[in-house]
Amino acid sequence: MKACKILKKTVGALAAVYAGLFAVYYFDLDGKLLYYVVEPFMIKRFDNMKRRDPLSVPYDQIDKEYM
Amino acid sequence: MKKPDFEKIKNTNFKKLAHDFVYGKPHGERRLGELYIPGTGLYKHREWRGIKDTMYAFNNIWLYNYGMLVKDLVVLGGGPKGLVQFLKGTMRYRWMGQTYLTVMHWVDRNLEGMRGEALRGSAWHFRGIINACLVQITQMFNRDISLGGDPKLWEKTMGHDETLWGGVFYPFRDQMTNIPLQMIPYFVTCHCNNHTVLNYIDAAQALGLPGDPCPMCQAEAGIFLQDDVPDFFKAFVTTNEACDGSVATSVIQDWMINKPLFAMPQPMQFDNEEVLENCAKEIEGAWKFTEEKLGVKFNWDELVKNLESQNELQRFEWEKWDVAANTNSYPINGVAQALYRIFQGQYGDLPIWHEVDAKVRKIMDKCVEEKINTFPMTRHRVIAWSCAPLYYSAWCTWAYNCWGLNTIINMDSLMFDMEIRTDSYENCLMDMARYHEWAPMRRMAVGGLQHIFELWDNMEKFNCDMVMMYDQLKCKGMQGVHGLFEDEFRARNINAIWMPHALPDKRDVSRAEIRDIVNDYMFTVMGEEPLDPSLLEFDDANSW
Repeated sequence: MKACKILKKTVGALAAVYAGLFAVYYFDLDGKLLYYVVEPFMIKRFDNMKRRDPLSVPYDQIDKEYM
Repeated sequence: MKKPDFEKIKNTNFKKLAHDFVYGKPHGERRLGELYIPGTGLYKHREWRGIKDTMYAFNNIWLYNYGMLVKDLVVLGGGPKGLVQFLKGTMRYRWMGQTYLTVMHWVDRNLEGMRGEALRGSAWHFRGIINACLVQITQMFNRDISLGGDPKLWEKTMGHDETLWGGVFYPFRDQMTNIPLQMIPYFVTCHCNNHTVLNYIDAAQALGLPGDPCPMCQAEAGIFLQDDVPDFFKAFVTTNEACDGSVATSVIQDWMINKPLFAMPQPMQFDNEEVLENCAKEIEGAWKFTEEKLGVKFNWDELVKNLESQNELQRFEWEKWDVAANTNSYPINGVAQALYRIFQGQYGDLPIWHEVDAKVRKIMDKCVEEKINTFPMTRHRVIAWSCAPLYYSAWCTWAYNCWGLNTIINMDSLMFDMEIRTDSYENCLMDMARYHEWAPMRRMAVGGLQHIFELWDNMEKFNCDMVMMYDQLKCKGMQGVHGLFEDEFRARNINAIWMPHALPDKRDVSRAEIRDIVNDYMFTVMGEEPLDPSLLEFDDANSW
């Protein structure tokens, strides 16, 4: 009896998760989260990131053998 | 509270409603354009395709691919450490963190309106592409010294230009890894989320470089100028692409990579046998460079094994072309066909290509045996020629849904049209040189008029009645033959639509402008009406 209850609860929980995922899929909630929240955050992060100046690399040929 | 509209309820055809729920709306009634949130390209809700296809799209495409993403990251990344490296890379590189998280939306765009076996066959192609991307992403991050990657792996890794065929390194694949430098940071980003690449184009122009060369070259240079190149390789093999812009990019790369570099130039007019011999010598030079810099040994057996595996892919591709050319049962849409083939042909052999091909073979066999018309609303069989707009490769699905223009085949698929002999070293090397010469943007874009005009033979071979002629506004090579094509189209009485674009840069010609041009042609020249009028005009200016 107890096992049956646990089984029912497990199946119910899995069904709820599955239905929730379907809602995410159908209403494009993953896309909306990425578009309105994640991407702006990432853009801000990358825009403010300190970067090395690649122009400071010496303009020399370091391997003349294969020129 | 609003009163229920009893009149409307009374007039509702519940039988039709139930039928549409179970089987999906017929093509002309779908109004796919109304699913978009204006400006964003997001969906108010994803398409209801009937129970069977909606559940397939949910379970076997959306859920499956998200699941496989996680699995691939763990397996290909080599466990938890690989996951940590992936997270570090996601937070470090714009092309990763801003771009690839949106991958499932990319798949959605390319499968809009697909049903049945076409949905299934096309979706498997994207599974292959995503896995191949993750192979490269995990390899790059696991080796990236600036992210704390493994120096031992770094020691045995060769970076190379994305337009250098990965098969050049087949003889060493048991001892080292070769990773194309720009395929992930540049090429695939434009398809997946075209916002990212604009930063790199602007970076190149901000340095004072002119804005009129190919924006692909500008973007590839911009990745360096923005310090967004992972340090995953000990040495580098470069090649010119097909233009002057590429030469400028190579100069910047050589400067900023600052590592041993082997230049493997590409012949432009390559039909001459002496040029082929010269190209073969270049390949041998790259092998010598690889041996010396990475401490590996040329392995003939390894080369043959990989080439035979690649030849198997080629043979299946020919079977696919045969079905595409001679039946209405080809279950792959134009964009899936193009991207899968160019990725496979350029990157070289991978286990996932064989897995996907096995799945697609089953689907295709079923379609042929049961004579399933996979794109039943086809009005015109289209061949797409020249280089495609990377930010709008999904135009193929739009054109089919809106106008019944079914893209059967494209130029990029047809370039690598050969098996490579493995019966002797000499034959093998000559075939490898030929394959290398037929790389993207070379054979049929700037490889001489006889190759550019292979269009006519292929149009006949694939039974196409219309050409979608890509017009890359910043490609000097193809701009130079514009008039010749115009003359030929007139002389041969071929319906051809010129599709202007600027490869990765949507700011020069927007997706809406591209659609307007196709719409105008279909209304005025063809005198046809759209299958789905809701797709004629919609705002996706800021979509991925």
